[in-house]
Amino acid sequence: MVIMRAVLCSLCAVLAPAAPCLLRAWQLGAGVIRTLCMGLALLSVCKFTEKHECVTTENGVGTVGISNFAQEEALGNVVYCSLLEVGTKLNKQDAFGALESVKAASELYSPLSGEVSEINEALSENPGLVSKFCYEDGWLIKMTLSNPSALDEISS
Amino acid sequence: MLALRGRDMVARKACRVLGIGSAFSSSSHREAVRKTGSSSMLIPFSMKNCFQLLCNRQVPTAGFKKTVKNGFIIHSISNDVYQNLAVEDWIHDHMNLEDKPILFFWRNSPSVVIGRHQNPWQECNLNLMREEGIKLARRRSGGGAVYHDMGNINLTFFTTKKKYDRMENLKLIVRALNAIHPQLDVQATKRFDLLLDGQFKISGTASKIGRTTAYHHCTLLCSTDGTFLSSLLKSPYQGIRSNATASIPSLVKNLLEKDPTLTCEVLMNAVATEYAAYHQTDNHIHLINPTDETLFPGINSKAKELQTWEWIYGKTPKFSINTSFNVLYEQSHLNIKVFIDIKNGKIEICNIEAPDHWLPLEILDKLNSSLVGSKFCPTETTMLTNILLRTCPQDHKLHSKWNILCEKIKGIM
Repeated sequence: MVIMRAVLCSLCAVLAPAAPCLLRAWQLGAGVIRTLCMGLALLSVCKFTEKHECVTTENGVGTVGISNFAQEEALGNVVYCSLLEVGTKLNKQDAFGALESVKAASELYSPLSGEVSEINEALSENPGLVSKFCYEDGWLIKMTLSNPSALDEISS
Repeated sequence: MLALRGRDMVARKACRVLGIGSAFSSSSHREAVRKTGSSSMLIPFSMKNCFQLLCNRQVPTAGFKKTVKNGFIIHSISNDVYQNLAVEDWIHDHMNLEDKPILFFWRNSPSVVIGRHQNPWQECNLNLMREEGIKLARRRSGGGAVYHDMGNINLTFFTTKKKYDRMENLKLIVRALNAIHPQLDVQATKRFDLLLDGQFKISGTASKIGRTTAYHHCTLLCSTDGTFLSSLLKSPYQGIRSNATASIPSLVKNLLEKDPTLTCEVLMNAVATEYAAYHQTDNHIHLINPTDETLFPGINSKAKELQTWEWIYGKTPKFSINTSFNVLYEQSHLNIKVFIDIKNGKIEICNIEAPDHWLPLEILDKLNSSLVGSKFCPTETTMLTNILLRTCPQDHKLHSKWNILCEKIKGIM
């Protein structure tokens, strides 16, 4: 396990230098470690775009959130989150919503192409949730990907 | 890219559109002065330069350097809030602002402008606005509700996302004000307001951050109708429950009240001078026509989108209304309860409750079910209720009660 964690740490450093949250993910649970042990093919990796949205995929479904870096550095206290509706088709880089914090509306851009399958309704009551780690409570949208292997295209 | 001859044709056409001579003659200058009412630094904009400028990535750097050094100042000749907001969208979407920041001055005819995630029913008196012909616009930036008229100057600072700095822009405005009135006590607050004498708001801020560009815009109160502002930005609608971003009301004051020499022209020139000094660029304010498709291809469809019901009202975050009103019936008051849920500006749930000795339950049920799915809008409600009335028994008393009820319901829209 120690070796595995060391490997993961260097993987994190390579994939997302601005994101300490990846390491936290692997500290989370035995379940995750078990998944990793089953082979790299099943590895759930949270990839970061240079625009601060992050995405993790599983079985052709992408879950999109924003990195802690983006949340702390660029946004501060999020007071509102608006998201496009379920069923919206998105191309990579299309805007899918906005976050508002102290009078600034920050656009959210889709890291992948696909169709919105679910939006995080909890955010309308509690927009501050986006500050939670991107694939826990703070996820923004889930989307069925048009190209599941497109995750590899995202720059790290 | 267009051949040189093509560009000249565009230039001539654009000059015709702007109503100015293509040569910078004294008569064309007088014309420009007459149109803008100012004899300051406004000069007719060279269309050839503008076209080069605005076709961002395709223009060789030498072309940019020739026309624009480190910054650029523009002023809209339009007072239409939607056209001016469209300019912001256009620049944000199409321009590469690397080392080329832009300052945009614009003024609007009487309008209320709400922030991206606001609820107009919560923010302003829509009934009064309809009576007085005041436009309602929803901007794409965050922040609260403001009232614009020709006594208010809007300033938009366009930069790359990296150079986005609201406080820096506000400090620039304060320096500009102090340059023309050294004793003026103006300070920027942590919430990016500008306060005069420590208590009166003279400027409010909002911004939008995109992929690579950002803009920060703010108002500057010069000679706005303050009484009208207060009445328009006061919502009469009761019982609204909403997550929309709410405005924080502030006491406002006009700069002109403090110093009668501080007219809109004087203020704009002062800020332009300071901006030009800061960015080491030419202190020229270039006039632009926001309806000109040759300068801004696609801008008119942006302006159109900003005027759609779907954008202005339909983008309102989900909200509910829980209120009641009284109707006079046989010398006593009857209480009518209203529970309405609205999503995307349309009625999702409608529960109007009235005593059934006043109006038969089946008629109320018809009203409730027919309003579901309709726009939360008095015009649409009038149409629907008129159609419904024709299906009701031809009873004069019933019709009179129906009309009273419908007027009350439209009154909360």
